[in-house]
Amino acid sequence: MRTRTAALALFWIVLLLFLGWDWLHSTPVNHRQELPLIAAGSGKAPTGGHCSAF
Amino acid sequence: MSRLPLSLTIALGILALAWFVSLRQSVLFLVGLGMGGILAGARFGFTTGWRRLIEQRDASGVMAQIGLLAVAAAFSMPLLALFPNDLMAALGPPSISLLVGAFVFGAAMQIADGCGSGTLYKAGLGIPLNMAILPMFMLGSFLGSAHLDRWLSLGATPPIGLVNEVGPMNAFGLTLIGLAVVGALALAWSRRGGSGEAPRWLDRRLLIAGAGLALLAVLNLLIAGQPWGVVYGFGLWGAKIATAAGVFDPGANAFWSQPGNWSALTQTVFLDVTTITNLGILAGALWISARKAPGSTSLTAKQWAIGLLAGFLLGYSSRLAFGCNVGAMVSGISTGSLHGWIWVAMAFCGSLIGVRLRRHFSF
Repeated sequence: MRTRTAALALFWIVLLLFLGWDWLHSTPVNHRQELPLIAAGSGKAPTGGHCSAF
Repeated sequence: MSRLPLSLTIALGILALAWFVSLRQSVLFLVGLGMGGILAGARFGFTTGWRRLIEQRDASGVMAQIGLLAVAAAFSMPLLALFPNDLMAALGPPSISLLVGAFVFGAAMQIADGCGSGTLYKAGLGIPLNMAILPMFMLGSFLGSAHLDRWLSLGATPPIGLVNEVGPMNAFGLTLIGLAVVGALALAWSRRGGSGEAPRWLDRRLLIAGAGLALLAVLNLLIAGQPWGVVYGFGLWGAKIATAAGVFDPGANAFWSQPGNWSALTQTVFLDVTTITNLGILAGALWISARKAPGSTSLTAKQWAIGLLAGFLLGYSSRLAFGCNVGAMVSGISTGSLHGWIWVAMAFCGSLIGVRLRRHFSF
């Protein structure tokens, strides 16, 4: 049980470190270009990456 | 672990996302949180459902998956027709890459005991093998995306989207017929058991979980404009790390030099839709595990090595197959992509091999 908790803690620490590193080393978020809350009806084509992309 | 501090931390994360990133991403994290809660709470496993059908002739998991697909398609197909410019379907090209990728994925997911969403929620629950598999999944997904152009050069046709080809109602009708045929085959197989016991084909808990997942997948489509996906996010994480380490030049790669992918590489992963829902699934499963931690069996060194190799293959093959059980099967079929149906057929053939390999290595 203790080993599992330690492994789970390590997993989340590594994940959060990656997310923190990514935040610091990426282009800052431009809030002026924030997308509308709901894509449907927004008139804007989706731009995100998807697993089906090729 | 107490749920209160965890709930407060998650709530803080949602507020931080809304403030520092965007309201849309914070809401998508909530959608992912719900997905993780349902997947982990109901132990809704695509992999387990297929394995139980093959080995125990128990069709209840597959029936719940069919219900999920029917509900998701019932909403997604009309929405895609209603908002053709704002929403996109999960359209992958029928190709050699798809045939090979789906077959390998189907086999690997039985050995690793988890597909894309399964690996995520089991990692969130704290199951050691699935936590260790996640980085291997990421590496495989990145390499698969980097090699995708070479696989596509072996032969591919343009994607076929039923909603565009025959209209939303006909597309939904064809999808229901396809699902009914699959359901009838699963039921016939479960009745051939000959054990004397009544065949298992309905599980209320799994059916409700499937319907819940379908509604969340539709919400994902409405909010993000794209269907639910898992593996793109992993590939993106791998590409970012490889680029930062100086071992990968995305500008020289056919996939990552495309404008959308290039843009995803330069901006934070918090703006990537699949990353956000993946993080939500992990957090949702962690929240479930806070009350009752799952039991896990200890593995031998050989089983660990095979499990990690299977994790790498999961990532690599899912990029070749244009998605996993979520991106290709759930999103592909529910948005009318032909590649989703080809994926299911090939992945099931792979699973027939995978369950034998799983037994062989005593998992």
